[in-house]
Amino acid sequence: MVNLIRNENMKLYRRWRTWVMVGFMIAAVLVGSFVEWYYDSSDASWRNDVIEQQQDMQAVLSDPELDPESQVYYKDQLAIIDYRLTHDIRPEPGTMWDGINGSASLFILITLFTVIVAGDSLAGEFTAGTIKLLLIRPASRLKILISKYLSMILFGFGLLIILFVVSVLVNGLLYQFKAIDLPLLTVNGEGVVVEKSMVANLWQTYLLNGVSTIIFVTMAFMISSAFRSSAMAIGISIFSLFAGTIVLELLQRYEWSKYLLFANLDLSQYLSGRPYQDGMTLSFSVIVLALYFILFNLVSWLVFTRRDVAA
Amino acid sequence: MANEPIVSLRQVTKRVGRKTLIDNLTFEVPQGEIFGFLGPNGAGKTTTIRMMVGLMAISEGEIRIKGKNIKTEFEQAIRHVGAIVENPEMYKFLTGYQNLIHFARMVPGVTKERIDEVIALVKLEDRIHDKVRKYSLGMRQRLGVAQALLHRPSLLILDEPTNGLDPAGIRELRDYLRHLTRTEGITVIVSSHLLSEMELMCDSVAILMHGKLVDVKPIGDFIGGNEQAQTYLIEATPAEQALGEIKAIVGVQGVEMTDEGLLVTAVRDQIPAILAHLMRQDIQIYGVRAVRQSLEDRFLQITGGEQVG
Repeated sequence: MVNLIRNENMKLYRRWRTWVMVGFMIAAVLVGSFVEWYYDSSDASWRNDVIEQQQDMQAVLSDPELDPESQVYYKDQLAIIDYRLTHDIRPEPGTMWDGINGSASLFILITLFTVIVAGDSLAGEFTAGTIKLLLIRPASRLKILISKYLSMILFGFGLLIILFVVSVLVNGLLYQFKAIDLPLLTVNGEGVVVEKSMVANLWQTYLLNGVSTIIFVTMAFMISSAFRSSAMAIGISIFSLFAGTIVLELLQRYEWSKYLLFANLDLSQYLSGRPYQDGMTLSFSVIVLALYFILFNLVSWLVFTRRDVAA
Repeated sequence: MANEPIVSLRQVTKRVGRKTLIDNLTFEVPQGEIFGFLGPNGAGKTTTIRMMVGLMAISEGEIRIKGKNIKTEFEQAIRHVGAIVENPEMYKFLTGYQNLIHFARMVPGVTKERIDEVIALVKLEDRIHDKVRKYSLGMRQRLGVAQALLHRPSLLILDEPTNGLDPAGIRELRDYLRHLTRTEGITVIVSSHLLSEMELMCDSVAILMHGKLVDVKPIGDFIGGNEQAQTYLIEATPAEQALGEIKAIVGVQGVEMTDEGLLVTAVRDQIPAILAHLMRQDIQIYGVRAVRQSLEDRFLQITGGEQVG
């Protein structure tokens, strides 16, 4: 099994295509961070900005017709501002964390690249005809499928490490690693402001995004094993990656749409407290995602291990 | 043990949808032979080979390699097999060496020394670190043979191995396969639609037509040996006179005049007598050669002229 994964890795990293993706990933983080830093106007006098914000929010809050949801939101924000002023904790803009958190949005590239690689990994062997030599060895088709799958997950994880390391390094250098120990302020359920670790928060974001990456990779794998066409696997997966949210908006008024894959992919909807449809909970989404995950893998496995190789 | 067949097919049938591609094949491949699958395109050679190596499911019947069922004991059965199915498609973006490493990792016990040994065997030392993309077809074929031999298989299966090879390459392959069976005791199964190739290469031949087994025979029997009539082309002048003379000889089964010469159907043993007779009549003989019948003719002959399938 280890050898099979080594084989998959060799086939992956001996192609210049893979390194183009890695290079693109690094370049995107560098350029994105640099541009953000260049246009960053915030300076050391963050207190004045925060006090200004405080006054604006108090004005909004004094409006008696404000809906309760917004009231809660503004009250929480004001609590955070109070905390900042009393404990001398500056907001993220103007520090390396702003750039690092901003770079986290490049996670979509990880999903994109991993889906491309995954779509080609299996289907490409059929197109090239190498699948025949691969399958006439004493390794079951299931093992080959799993080794391919794992090597894709490793690739995605590798890109994630690159994203993390490069964004921390470049933003750290741009901001001279100032405020590296800046905590993240949030309001907990009891309305009390708490300090959280920035890094932990960043990885939480990463992992929540990682869930959708894994689902898309699994989907690309399934299509690739069913149709044996890289183009189709990559195309359909990327299309659903981008079209998913549009479809969701169109279908939001139907209650059954909460069972759709896309409605559950973004688990951060439960952190912000605004799920796609009322009544959806984190455990509901996790169960739905798990079911799709099992379904996709079952289809890949059944099709790949049973179908004749006639290419 | 030594005489146990290396491959045995029992009532093997392959159906795809309503079509029956392979119909009830039963035969055995003895150890240490070069065994040929002969048949026109579409006869089911490749389908049979694909079932033997587990690329295609068997609809009915069973295939055993060294006594192991390819369906239920796949990993134990395929361990003994090295194969090239149709074209030797390797990873073009890897070097020849990386390709061999790749396949070596998939079987336990293949050492670096063995890889080097196989490279030397197929004479690819000079180019082994080049990308396969840059290889000629002949080199790819040799790399294909190398990957098939890495794990010292007892059975080597080559599907249309001479496709795309030039005559020198074919000859080299043939000598090489002979060498393998003699020195390493490997059994080789080759498929081809070219009868002439099979005659030179194989010990036994199984003939497939329309997915059915027509016959399995040692190649000597199939070629006809000394007892069976064959066609010979004799160039002689004056042709008219020669025609008459040959017709009169007892035992000649047929003679016919063509632009190239006289086509004589006779048993091999009779040829010296025919020539001696013509020479006694002062007929000039410029050449005599056995005419290879086309594969289709040969099939018709074997199947008694009736259409199979």
